Amino acid sequence: MRLNNLPGMGAALLLVLSTASLGWAEQAVRAGEEIFQLEPGFKAAPALIMLALMVVYVGVGFLSRVSTTSGYWVAGQGIGKYGNGAAIASDWMSAASFMGVAGLLYLQGWFGLGYIIGWTGGYVLLLVLLAAQLRRFGKYTIPEFLGDRFDSHGVRLFAATVTVIIAITYATAQFKGIGLVCGWIFGMSYASSVFFAAGVVLAYMLISGMSGVTRNQQIQYVVLISAFLIPLWSLMQKAGGSGILPQIEYGRLLSDLMEGKTAVGVLEGEELDKATRAYLPWGTGGSIYHFIALVFTLMVGTAGLPHIMIRFYTVKNEDIARRSVLWGLFFIGLLYWSSPVYAALGKYWNPLGGRAVADVIILSAPERAELGIAFIGYLAAGAMAAGISTVAGLLVAGASAVAHDWYATVFRPDSTDKQQLLVGRLVTAALCAVVVLFALNPPALIAQIVAMAFAIAGNTIFPACVLAVWYSRANKYGALAGMTFGLALTLLAMTGWILNVPAFTATGLLPATSSALLVCPLAFLINIVVSNLTTDKVSENSLRRSDQVLRKLHNVPGHPEDSRRPQGSFAAK
Amino acid sequence: MSDNSRLHVNFFAPSTPNMKAEVFIAAAILGIWGLLSFGLPLLIWLAGLGDPQGLGRSFITEARFLGFPLHYWLIAQGCTIGYVLLCKLYCILWDKKVPRIHSSGGPRP
Repeated sequence: MRLNNLPGMGAALLLVLSTASLGWAEQAVRAGEEIFQLEPGFKAAPALIMLALMVVYVGVGFLSRVSTTSGYWVAGQGIGKYGNGAAIASDWMSAASFMGVAGLLYLQGWFGLGYIIGWTGGYVLLLVLLAAQLRRFGKYTIPEFLGDRFDSHGVRLFAATVTVIIAITYATAQFKGIGLVCGWIFGMSYASSVFFAAGVVLAYMLISGMSGVTRNQQIQYVVLISAFLIPLWSLMQKAGGSGILPQIEYGRLLSDLMEGKTAVGVLEGEELDKATRAYLPWGTGGSIYHFIALVFTLMVGTAGLPHIMIRFYTVKNEDIARRSVLWGLFFIGLLYWSSPVYAALGKYWNPLGGRAVADVIILSAPERAELGIAFIGYLAAGAMAAGISTVAGLLVAGASAVAHDWYATVFRPDSTDKQQLLVGRLVTAALCAVVVLFALNPPALIAQIVAMAFAIAGNTIFPACVLAVWYSRANKYGALAGMTFGLALTLLAMTGWILNVPAFTATGLLPATSSALLVCPLAFLINIVVSNLTTDKVSENSLRRSDQVLRKLHNVPGHPEDSRRPQGSFAAK
Repeated sequence: MSDNSRLHVNFFAPSTPNMKAEVFIAAAILGIWGLLSFGLPLLIWLAGLGDPQGLGRSFITEARFLGFPLHYWLIAQGCTIGYVLLCKLYCILWDKKVPRIHSSGGPRP
């Protein structure tokens, strides 16, 4: 399926958006209050930098167009360990990593570090439990893997639905980030900048056709990491350091902050107390339960995100798959070792700025340090690269779940390429419209919204995938029961969070961003118990097909009984 | 899966030499991962139980490492550097311990 040249998509989106915008515009003004913390107005240098980079992305996409489905979905399985590592990092590092983590650390101090270890530690889980096995399976989507392993269209449909929900939730946060940055560069209101951002993302997908995604993600990684790291040297010098290695130097700044020493003078009384509390373990109100619940949720979520898992399909072999996780995590680490520096510098220059400044702290800190508009423009371009690369990956993951796993595999196996393309276009347009609607009035901070997407992945996809690989008795009934339970509880927690029900808020028993500590183990248990209770209900044929997938996952040669069957025949289903 | 001819896969009871090697390495790495991810926060929590204000002050928050409050460095950088090293260790162990299989159902397509 190719998603380029989508004329109908733009028209449909425009119609939905213009209708919807009337009622939402007022709330959107409030949602985008962060931009007003920054200097308003059009900025020529950042606009030029951003446009130049957009031209590069589209050009690369155009030059690396592909003509086969294998090339389209998995880049011909020819990516190496550094390349795939950079692509994993770029796919992964979104507006949440780029802007949101620094914002959370600014607000939550030490407690916010839970996001950093959650979002890095999950790769260890992914590596040891799933990476090599998924590469051995070697097909296109995660719903396809689960559907084949459990030999069930029901599981396939369910996993595809979850993928769509994750894509929508996750992309909402990206649009908020892209919208904030566009608003800052072009001097627009938040609502207008969300629409503008939707236009930019669609144009990017329309013209580059998503075909050069991997190569673009590698370029975007270079842009986003250099944009993130370079300003830090100057910032640290302005804060009185040598600026050689800001990632180490900010330790002293942090210790000083705890004693109330800031750029605006030495804090006293209540202000000093607030500054000290921010960096003490439980000074911002969290507890050990909430810290561990958050870390666990983000870890299993990381290991269950469909658009990250499919990156293992794009490499040459399983050795490269393993090594690309190592490199991906290192590349991600470069950013996560640096984002606390922005948060600390933000505190140093603006110790008492609250929630309103949090999501734009990486722009606000350099602005207050008077770093120069071109510097900050490059930083903003990096944030755009982070948001766009992730949104593009998410929209394609969501659209492929519907067009490839629902439509072309289950409902209309005899559909032509042309029909599949049309469905893909319509779904992409619909997804984009839904995302924009949510982004106009986002329910939480960028990183919090993203954390909710992780809760969904960790409570549904992760248990199903781990048991699919490591427990041969797991069957489709168990998988469906476990995934239904996981999804229902996560959505319940998310709704409760939005409605402010005490149990689901940040200090409740089941916070929407941290629900997996309780829900994920239960989803595992339900899957195992139901699978064992329903062993007799699975047909002999179904068992044989599952067995074949397992043999492939674990490199076990086929049983003599199956030797007459050509190897890999199940894969051609 | 009552049929004995079926392939039995269970993380806690690996059936083939390959799976045994993979599970052994995975379990070792997961053990260290668990200590880093949950052991360190628990240690910081336990040490800070004596703080009458409930903010978690302890010798770990008072100590300094590279200029950082120790509790901050351990989580912000100690854990994440640890994860990268764990991934490297996993790749090394895998190369040493897991038998190479290149059947038609194997890693090379």
